[in-house]
Amino acid sequence: MFMKMIRKGIIMFTEIFAYDFMQRAILAVVAISIFAPILGMFLILRRQSLMSDTLSHVSLAGVAFGIMLGVSTTWSTIAVVTVAAVVLEYLRTVYKHYMEISTAILMSLGLAISLIIMSKSGNAGSVSLEQYLFGSIITISQEQVIALFVIAVIVLLLTILFIRPMYILTFDEDTALVDGLPVRLMSILFNVVTGIAIALTIPAAGALLVSTIMVLPASIAMRLGKNFKSVIFIGILIGFIGMVAGIIGSYYWETPASATITMIFISIFLLVSLVGMLGKKL
Amino acid sequence: MRYITVEDLTFQYDSEPVLEGINYYVDSGEFVTLTGENGAAKSTLIKATLGILTPKVGKVTMSKTNKDGKKLRLAYLPQQIASFNAGFPSTVYEFVKSGRYPRNGWFRRLDKHDEEHIKVSLEAVGMWENRHKRIGSLSGGQKQRAVIARMFASDPDIFVLDEPTTGMDAGTTKTFYELMHHSAHKHGKSVLMITHDPDEVKDYADRNIHLVRNQDLPWRCFNVHENDQKGDNHVH
Repeated sequence: MFMKMIRKGIIMFTEIFAYDFMQRAILAVVAISIFAPILGMFLILRRQSLMSDTLSHVSLAGVAFGIMLGVSTTWSTIAVVTVAAVVLEYLRTVYKHYMEISTAILMSLGLAISLIIMSKSGNAGSVSLEQYLFGSIITISQEQVIALFVIAVIVLLLTILFIRPMYILTFDEDTALVDGLPVRLMSILFNVVTGIAIALTIPAAGALLVSTIMVLPASIAMRLGKNFKSVIFIGILIGFIGMVAGIIGSYYWETPASATITMIFISIFLLVSLVGMLGKKL
Repeated sequence: MRYITVEDLTFQYDSEPVLEGINYYVDSGEFVTLTGENGAAKSTLIKATLGILTPKVGKVTMSKTNKDGKKLRLAYLPQQIASFNAGFPSTVYEFVKSGRYPRNGWFRRLDKHDEEHIKVSLEAVGMWENRHKRIGSLSGGQKQRAVIARMFASDPDIFVLDEPTTGMDAGTTKTFYELMHHSAHKHGKSVLMITHDPDEVKDYADRNIHLVRNQDLPWRCFNVHENDQKGDNHVH
């Protein structure tokens, strides 16, 4: 019985991985699961969980600009998101006690711009915009996979180099400033890197679900890990398992990949919370 | 040696200044308290002194070096720093260790000397046994002690403290004041501390800077009034 199940599983995997698009999807997942939980943890600790949502909506405006101007949507998105990330940092300091205002302002602006541009440019780009809205990890191109790996390596290197300053920055910005850290510069750079990572993740995850992939693995890991490094490792592991399971699940259940991935992450989150609650009671 | 000089500082949040014409200084080897009624902009004055807030007018001069000619180091304990995010993923040890980073440790591997310092700092506040606990799981008083241990670990020349004994019991508070007095008088460090209870600390502090409201102005604006002379204090 057990051997039969294993054999069935092996056949299933070889069947899935025989497809080129599935191999690319899995590679994309490996890259995303490296950088998403790291950035997600910092976003949560900086109380900027919604920033990924904002930047993903803003990136839609970037996609719209790209389609309108006939240039690569990847580059136009990166450009627009970078500007937005800097503006976001400025708004964050203006509305220090109401940080969510800046998120709301930029989110609406991004959506509004993209809708106006798309309405002016006729129906030509609507199919493509829809792809960015919902994402499709199985239609991801080789170039996009390479781009995801490049940003994964950049985020990983920056994290290894700057984990100590980031620790203080996310703990308390005033303490970081007195400790001699360039707080403003670090915040802007963090926003820009996060923005670019989000812009590159969108073709795979879709603007609507990108924040799930950024925030959920990290929030699960934060419940399990005792310190910064363990949270990062657990986050990467959970991100990878959740996303691979989501892709395989979507293949068999014929459901959208990003939605399936989200449901799996939410299930893990509920499970971990439940076990945590039971653990406390026992 | 003069560590901090504040000249003619004016600070305002909106249209009217809350602090006007502030002059004060802090020297090495002295324990200075900062008092004033509620809303006397004490925390604001400290933040403007540290450069966290930018004053409208005036000059803050911070010495570049300490009395030994080395780079001057500051430690700042913000008000209610201990009410930090309960989910912050860090052990007490990792947190206190981070106090060593500004001393060239941002990229350097910490050595035996650093580890010894971390241990001594944790022991000084009675938190060595709790070093493997997650900081979010500590009680309010323990969190405050962890934050103070981090400050000790950084071994600064100036301690800038905003009501540091909040949540501490009387015994721990007394020990803390003794430690600060000792740091100033034996090791030549300086302490600038906001307190709401000047009586509690009067036996340890050298000087008090009191912020008083300028009654001539219709809005709440404060000036400095120094009321204790240096040198007439002693520890029991």
